[in-house]
Amino acid sequence: MQPALENVFAELVLGPPPTQSSLSELCQKHQLGADDSTALSESFARLCVYRELVRGNLREALELAMPRSVARLGPLFDEYFDRFLLERGPRTHYLRDVAPELLTFCRPLWASDARVPPYLYELAVHESLHIEVSALPSLPRGHVPAALSLELGVELSPALRLVRYGHAVHELPADEASREAPRARAVSLLVYRSPEHDVRYLELTPLARGIVERLLSGHGLGAAVQAAAAEAESALTEAVLAGAAKLLADLAERGVVRGPRAVA
Amino acid sequence: MLGGVGLGLRWDFLEEVVEGPALPIDFFEVSPENYMRRGGYYPAQLERLLGRYPLVTHGLTLSIGAVAEPDADYLNELRAEIQRTRSPFHSDHLCFSSAGARSLHELLPLQQSRENVRRVAERARRMSDELGVPFALENITYYVHPGRAELPELDFLHGVLEASDAGLLLDVNNVYVNSVNHGFDPRAFIAALDLERVVEIHVAGHSRKPSGLVLDTHGAPVADPVLELLAFTLQRSGPRPVLLERDNEVPALSELVREVHTLREVYDASLRSYRAAGA
Repeated sequence: MQPALENVFAELVLGPPPTQSSLSELCQKHQLGADDSTALSESFARLCVYRELVRGNLREALELAMPRSVARLGPLFDEYFDRFLLERGPRTHYLRDVAPELLTFCRPLWASDARVPPYLYELAVHESLHIEVSALPSLPRGHVPAALSLELGVELSPALRLVRYGHAVHELPADEASREAPRARAVSLLVYRSPEHDVRYLELTPLARGIVERLLSGHGLGAAVQAAAAEAESALTEAVLAGAAKLLADLAERGVVRGPRAVA
Repeated sequence: MLGGVGLGLRWDFLEEVVEGPALPIDFFEVSPENYMRRGGYYPAQLERLLGRYPLVTHGLTLSIGAVAEPDADYLNELRAEIQRTRSPFHSDHLCFSSAGARSLHELLPLQQSRENVRRVAERARRMSDELGVPFALENITYYVHPGRAELPELDFLHGVLEASDAGLLLDVNNVYVNSVNHGFDPRAFIAALDLERVVEIHVAGHSRKPSGLVLDTHGAPVADPVLELLAFTLQRSGPRPVLLERDNEVPALSELVREVHTLREVYDASLRSYRAAGA
């Protein structure tokens, strides 16, 4: 009984709006016994309360995570919310993780839907990163800062994400009513949690992004600067080295750079 | 051990509790899912409460009644959170909240059947070992019984508790809401319960839909009939920790403290009756 019941409930709350007859079909599809099906059908209106509750909880979590994206999508959000629930459904124990699950589902769909503005996925990611980064694990206590070395890697705070956008969605107004479109330009953004637990944003130059990206993947500091400079088609000049030193000092000030670590 | 009257800790007033002076609140109850598998502000604030107030954990997403076994990663994180908060026991709901891999984020009713008594009790029995503390189950609000009930709710609840030796987190608001929605006498229900198993009592507010259905919203002050039912319960159970839950339309902390004070008056008066009856 419980397996059939779980399937009936899941389809009832996550699927299309039910009717008395679709409920009967659901019960039949999942081979719920006749007595149980009849009992459920007799309580149809009350059963639908669970649909309101489940969808209300999930929608509230999404509106909290990405309010401007939900507002800009309007009825399109409802359409994709319905599709997400029907075709995948939330998998996480944590309501805070429902937004990233929805975005993973929607990314390819939005990319091929001309009704969805091209920047919308990036705006939704940008908004939902606030909750994600605010909740990323912290480093264990007892960390003792030490001087960096070109031969060693750099320990970065685990509470950060390095993202690339094709639009300056981080410059959009906070006003949910705004429909201003972002400028189309390449953006590298470091989203990190400060030691005071605030989520902060730092736009990086291509060279700075290249360095941070490589440090995150375990490169030594010297190798990271060298490779990033080459990628940016820049010689390893005094100015580049001074810029890298300034970047690391700034990141240390922000609590992002924690000290040296062994090269991966 | 826990005792007296506590309050469900919510982010709306966490900072005020942490930064403010000692409150006349005997303990706080914590939703572990809000603090598990994460760093940042909220776990840091919770840590500052340790030692200032007793904390007890009350989970939402164990889904003990689902077909699938509880998620091992979730249980490991939960165990760690229980240790961090030094919770004397852990409770969750007698329900299911997932369907296969899908997490439904709502407390859904189990069929009151002998098969579910056996299945859920076997799982609940293992929880104390899995979590490292005694385990308790809460009676939920149910708006519909899913299918044909083989057993009355009371027999189902007793069956699971006896077979698993779990404690009972008795939510008297849920008993009241169910009594209205399903037409039974809440006092008779409480009087027939094995109150020895009660490790904690919950009270909360509810609301009524235009259809007459009463919803367990946790979004209003505790209603008078629930306060009366709380008194009725305490007069029979003797001292048990009582907790005020408020999850929606959360008012100022000062208002919640006033409500805790009201509950304490009910608590003290009920225990005087309990002791007088035993004398």
